[in-house]
Amino acid sequence: MKGTGASSGIGIGKAVIVNDVLPEVLKRYIDDADREIEVFMEKLENTKKETARLAGILEEKASETEAQILNGHVLLMSDPALIDEITGIIKNEKICAESAIDSVCGNYADIFASMDDELMQQRAADMKDIRNRLIKAVLGIETVDTALIPAGSILVAQDLTPSMTAGLNPENICGIVTKFGGRTSHSAILSRALEIPAVVGAADILEYVNDADIVCFDGDSGEICINPDLKTLAEYEGKRDAFLRERSELNSYRGKTSQTLDGVRVELAANIGNPDDAKKALEYDAEGIGLFRTEFLFMDRNTAPSENEQFEAYKSVALIMGGKPVIIRTLDIGGDKEIPYMNIEKDENPFLGYRAVRLCLDRKDDIYKPQLRALLRASAFGNIKIMIPFITGVDEFRAAKAAVLEAMKELDLEGIKYNRGIEIGVMMETAAASIMADVIAKEADFFSIGTNDLTQYTLAVDRGNTKISYLYSTYNPAVLRSIRNIIYAGKNAGISVGMCGEAAADPKMVPLLLAWGLDEFSMSASSILKTRKAVMGYDTALLKEIADKALSFATEEEVRHYLEGIC
Amino acid sequence: MVSRKITIINPSGLHLRPAGNLCKESLKYKSKIKINFGDKSANAKSVLSVLGVCIKFGDEIEFVCEGTDEEEALEAVCTLADDGFGENE
Repeated sequence: MKGTGASSGIGIGKAVIVNDVLPEVLKRYIDDADREIEVFMEKLENTKKETARLAGILEEKASETEAQILNGHVLLMSDPALIDEITGIIKNEKICAESAIDSVCGNYADIFASMDDELMQQRAADMKDIRNRLIKAVLGIETVDTALIPAGSILVAQDLTPSMTAGLNPENICGIVTKFGGRTSHSAILSRALEIPAVVGAADILEYVNDADIVCFDGDSGEICINPDLKTLAEYEGKRDAFLRERSELNSYRGKTSQTLDGVRVELAANIGNPDDAKKALEYDAEGIGLFRTEFLFMDRNTAPSENEQFEAYKSVALIMGGKPVIIRTLDIGGDKEIPYMNIEKDENPFLGYRAVRLCLDRKDDIYKPQLRALLRASAFGNIKIMIPFITGVDEFRAAKAAVLEAMKELDLEGIKYNRGIEIGVMMETAAASIMADVIAKEADFFSIGTNDLTQYTLAVDRGNTKISYLYSTYNPAVLRSIRNIIYAGKNAGISVGMCGEAAADPKMVPLLLAWGLDEFSMSASSILKTRKAVMGYDTALLKEIADKALSFATEEEVRHYLEGIC
Repeated sequence: MVSRKITIINPSGLHLRPAGNLCKESLKYKSKIKINFGDKSANAKSVLSVLGVCIKFGDEIEFVCEGTDEEEALEAVCTLADDGFGENE
């Protein structure tokens, strides 16, 4: 059976099925309203305490988002208006607490749900959750009695609500499997925060699993095995132990400064494709976003995204990242993507054709300007930088900057705020840009080397073509020289140089990049701690020799062989 | 009774956390503290009430305080609003 891997790790344990069904709430009339209120207040206090306790655990685990949800619940449950309304109904109408809670919380949930605002929809969910929890508390129904969940359990449920998790003892849960949810659902975020392996969206799980069955699963691949044979069980155990060893080692690098032994400080950032990825980046301790691909906004739809829709997406990433740098790449799209509303003619050779900045400068009114305006407007909410892809010469970069200036003038006239000092940089990914790097560096605020395309364009290799893909290698001396040239040109001009291709997290490349003085390494979020560990183990003074030696070889094979020998 | 108009400067408006900070501050005072926003009004001491009027970035609201410590209360909530309700920390 398979679900969606939601939280890394291997879960092995005995299934505990948790049903979270809200009992029917009957409108009972009561005699002693004061006593009913007393019970309600006591249960309310207990529920608040339990919620605050879990919020505290989550804060320690550095998961602010989840802690905030629960702290928000505590805040809402402490609201004097809410308490007055509930106790007022109990007193005046002489009805039971559960019925009063149901009507008051339900009413607020309805009010919030009717508002056209995403955050208010979340508040509606919060109110429903609080309602369910308080009703269960006064009825004496324990959602999950932590005492009853023994150590070594795998929690199996339809879905986890914040209220279910509030009572959980994470120490005893060695895995979570849910029927519903995706990578960004509450259950998934919570399991990652608590570092409990989890698989979500396992549609048939409740049909196949019984209480006390042995369940094994892989929180990355989503593979689930119920009552495995001994051999399979041993395999899972081996994988689990290896995973735990590696994680405890990498976790010790969380929150550390990415700095070499001789004190050279670098920035380890994440590549992302949408705003949800930004949250994941923070979970992995990213120090910024080195590449936000904006293509997702334009794909799988019938019309171009509006300026406002783009603004909201860019703004949300800026806000999620707080003041940390967020490099956003303007649209990088061409004839290789089928986007009917863009009306791009089929290109014989899309990777050498009408794409990225070439297309954008040609389609200023309907494509580029709305994106640039959205980026500028979002720059008022965080540390956004604009990156122009596929630049082959300084003239193209000037034209792109002129388009940004035009957008700025428009916003000025409309009195809309943006960051006037916004940095505009070049994605260095063509051979021409690399050769002209010293010239381009004089006009750019930063460089970011896109190694995937730089390798492809330098070597004239389509890496998708299996017959020749063996030629595609970042260790090719031509590519290495090109990278070094770009870094040196940027350093000479006094601008920051980053890298946002796969090479930035390649353990064989990291020492070379450090030796040449790369400032920012941007990679998939899950590689960040591993790379920090590598960075912290190097002394750049000693790396110079290695880098020189690596560049002294004539062929890719020699370089690779040398780097394999030392890294 | 004293009142003052202010503009919301924190990006996400008066959402849960900033509203919570406002309520915590308001509860320190004996005076009634009301928020007028358009044709709606809210009790600044209740998170749910504040959330219910859905105040966003750039909106202009009016604080109205009434009671024995109304001056101090008004000063406190306006200072908090100028700080973006503690959202910029």
